[in-house]
Amino acid sequence: MIEKRIAENVLAAALETGGDYSELYLEDTEQNSISMVDDKVENAQYIRRTGAGVRVLLGGRSAYAYTVDMGEAALIATARAAAAALSGAPICQVQAFSTVRACADAPQQPYSLVDNAARVALLRDGVRAARAYSAEITQVTAGYADVDQRVLIATSDGVWAEDRRPRGRVSFHAVAMQGGEAQTGSVSPGRGEGFSQFQKLDMTALGSEAARMAVTMLHAPDCPAGFVPVVIDGGFGGVILHEACVHSLEATSVAKGNSEFCGKLGQRIASEIVTAVDDGTLPGEWGSMHVDDEGMPTQRNVLIENGVLKTYLVDLVGSRLMNHPRTGSARRQGYSFAPTSRMTNTFFAPGTDDAEEMLRTMGEGLFAKAMGGGSVNPLTGEFNFAVQEGYWVKDGKIFCPVRGATLVGRGADVLMQIDRIGRDMWMSPGMCGSISGSVPTNVGQPRIRVRGITVGGKGGAL
Amino acid sequence: MMDFDQFKEKAFAAALAEGCDAAELYFLEENSFSATVLEQELDAYSVSQTRGLNLRVQLAGKNGYAYTESLDTPENLALRAMDNARAIENEDDHPMQGKCEYRTLPARECRIFDASEREKIELAMALERAAKAQDPRIARVMRSIVGSSNTRTRICNTLGLDAMREERIAYSFVTPVASAEGQVKDGFAFRVNDDVFDVEGCAKEAAKRAVTQLGGAPVPAGKYRILFENLAMADLLSAFSSMFSADAAQKGLSLLADKEGETIAAPCVTLWDDPFHAVNPRAFDAEGVPSLSKAVVERGVLKTLLHNLKTAKKAGVASTGNAVQGGVMPTNFFLAPGPDGFERLVTKLGDGLIITDISGLHAGLNPISGEFSLLASGMLVKDGQAVRPVEQITVGGSFLSLMRGIEAVGSDLRFGLPGGACFGSPSVLAGTLTVSGK
Repeated sequence: MIEKRIAENVLAAALETGGDYSELYLEDTEQNSISMVDDKVENAQYIRRTGAGVRVLLGGRSAYAYTVDMGEAALIATARAAAAALSGAPICQVQAFSTVRACADAPQQPYSLVDNAARVALLRDGVRAARAYSAEITQVTAGYADVDQRVLIATSDGVWAEDRRPRGRVSFHAVAMQGGEAQTGSVSPGRGEGFSQFQKLDMTALGSEAARMAVTMLHAPDCPAGFVPVVIDGGFGGVILHEACVHSLEATSVAKGNSEFCGKLGQRIASEIVTAVDDGTLPGEWGSMHVDDEGMPTQRNVLIENGVLKTYLVDLVGSRLMNHPRTGSARRQGYSFAPTSRMTNTFFAPGTDDAEEMLRTMGEGLFAKAMGGGSVNPLTGEFNFAVQEGYWVKDGKIFCPVRGATLVGRGADVLMQIDRIGRDMWMSPGMCGSISGSVPTNVGQPRIRVRGITVGGKGGAL
Repeated sequence: MMDFDQFKEKAFAAALAEGCDAAELYFLEENSFSATVLEQELDAYSVSQTRGLNLRVQLAGKNGYAYTESLDTPENLALRAMDNARAIENEDDHPMQGKCEYRTLPARECRIFDASEREKIELAMALERAAKAQDPRIARVMRSIVGSSNTRTRICNTLGLDAMREERIAYSFVTPVASAEGQVKDGFAFRVNDDVFDVEGCAKEAAKRAVTQLGGAPVPAGKYRILFENLAMADLLSAFSSMFSADAAQKGLSLLADKEGETIAAPCVTLWDDPFHAVNPRAFDAEGVPSLSKAVVERGVLKTLLHNLKTAKKAGVASTGNAVQGGVMPTNFFLAPGPDGFERLVTKLGDGLIITDISGLHAGLNPISGEFSLLASGMLVKDGQAVRPVEQITVGGSFLSLMRGIEAVGSDLRFGLPGGACFGSPSVLAGTLTVSGK
């Protein structure tokens, strides 16, 4: 994307006012998206984002400047704009690029070689299957999106890293209506691979699944409100780990004392059966990268082992403030964001419990079969997330589907309350928003049980 | 590299040569600045210069789009857009606006726009100091930010449209942390444009939000009378605003489809979409259609949904000037204030809960079903008197039932932080909702 000589000049200009580290990030990203409504293509968009960001650090303080203009003069002006936040004399020099990490191989079937007809064909079968599922399905919308992000990271301490990060996703949303009420169901699988990934998906089954969820919820009463045991199914159920715990383990919060898990390394923060992992190296997964957005190789980070906190997720600024090693976790949406510590593929490791037994012995409570999104305040640990498809359980048996459930609580409490972890783990993709923008992250888990969580709903006892 | 006008000529010529009927370019250029202060030092500093161009081509009434940030390959962009237009199967005509006149907006004079970076950094430092000084229970400040941006928008098309505007905004934001007896709570407050100079007022509001929550605990689950504080209600309006989109309605994704002329809210409810409101005045929308101020709900009756040129053509009405890139959105969307001050609303509440904060709006809320179940915090009220703070509860209901059940609207209209649209509300006595707690 750029000559090494120019990168060196830019990094040097960034250090002119006394910074001790500078970093150049170049991005060239292409995206294609298609949306389908009423079995017809509604919209098609192509997007190309190109730009550069220069970051200067002095200790734990940072300055960032970014531009769409990638010419040498503009990049040097951008470097000086960032450096202007400091007002000293140069103390550090740019090192030769001795650490080269080039992982820019093209994926199998790159998206640039795919045409719109092939993209649309993927959606058509799913939409028709969803429509055909039931007369109560009044609308089906579908989306296709592919992204091919190419980045280069050059740093004043001698790192030259290139990465190419293709990813693609399809989604089906079904709406079921009856008597002035509407309920929805949706599925949205995706992987960090080229277009060939879609050959492995059964679009008909995905469309039917979205429709089944919407129709099931249309005939479900409102979820009762209260504090009850909850069984959360595998896959996207792992959003509980993502929101209730791991956001609060990011250096973004921990380094400045804004997390309920500050100062807890080596301590027990979860029930003994809990082991939690963030692994950015898994080939082809939605949240994977070869190198992070500071040019460091990603790695497998065991966050919690048998209930004990082993590591935080730490970027460069975090490592300086916390005196903690970096974990290959620096991420950003693109050049318009400075990087910070983020998740990649985050999951509860498989346990030894039986998936049926945990329902059978739970008494009365909620079985959350499919989860929606959520959010957390890391300072207080207060989290919330939505249940897309839930079932009320009485005497250990599924009693009926329930709609509109939300789970709320505090991360530190809920981790201690986990009393079952199943054997089969799988992951599902999501988009995670934070101060460095929106990045693709996988969440995952086997089926788990929590002894008690506050369930929000608008219904009475069933 | 070419400039915008050269790029435009080449892109239009390439698109016309490929057989399009008309072409349009939406050009956005932005400079931004922000400074974050921590412990009286500049902790993070950011400046930027960006631009982007979205090309829209029209082929037999169908539109294809292609966006780029690089000004070097107009022909390639035109080919991409044409390829996308050919993929469209929806047969609804999506017209393009021709040349037209716009209302002249009064120039916005703000002292903060002329402030130097140094002055803005010092304001952020002063804000941090002021927030800390408000109360001994304020332990520290998570971040104190002052930022500004300058945006230039231009829309040109082959039908002769050439619309241009420049917008400037400045803002401050502070998040103090209060702690007592092992509990920590954060508060926030923001100011926009010259209100950024109101350092003391902003600090006081943020600190009060943090300190007031100390000692909070859940309430037992049940039905409670609910009073939403203004900014919490503005958040709720924002999250459900897509129900008022004609685009969503025509696609069968809004329960308000075909409800124009019907009563959908209590008689005390009037909802405005006013693009000329001083909070963020604009003379035209993203399709270059002149802005239009209108009541969306008037005394409980749904008067209109929000349209762009495409949805308006389909419905056989005029566009309401609510086009954004890729769809329809409100402009400055707010609940018209009523006669009651906040204290009066608390008296009317009698026994119930004041909700000051709701979380998880992108998750615990569904604008298609109109239902919500949201993490909330606030204050327990008995006999019109605040008793104690409340946390870790959820408030659940349906947006349309809530609108019908509104008993009183306060006089304290406030807008949330401006984004693509601005959402505002006074505090609202919302009637009875379901609450989950311990």
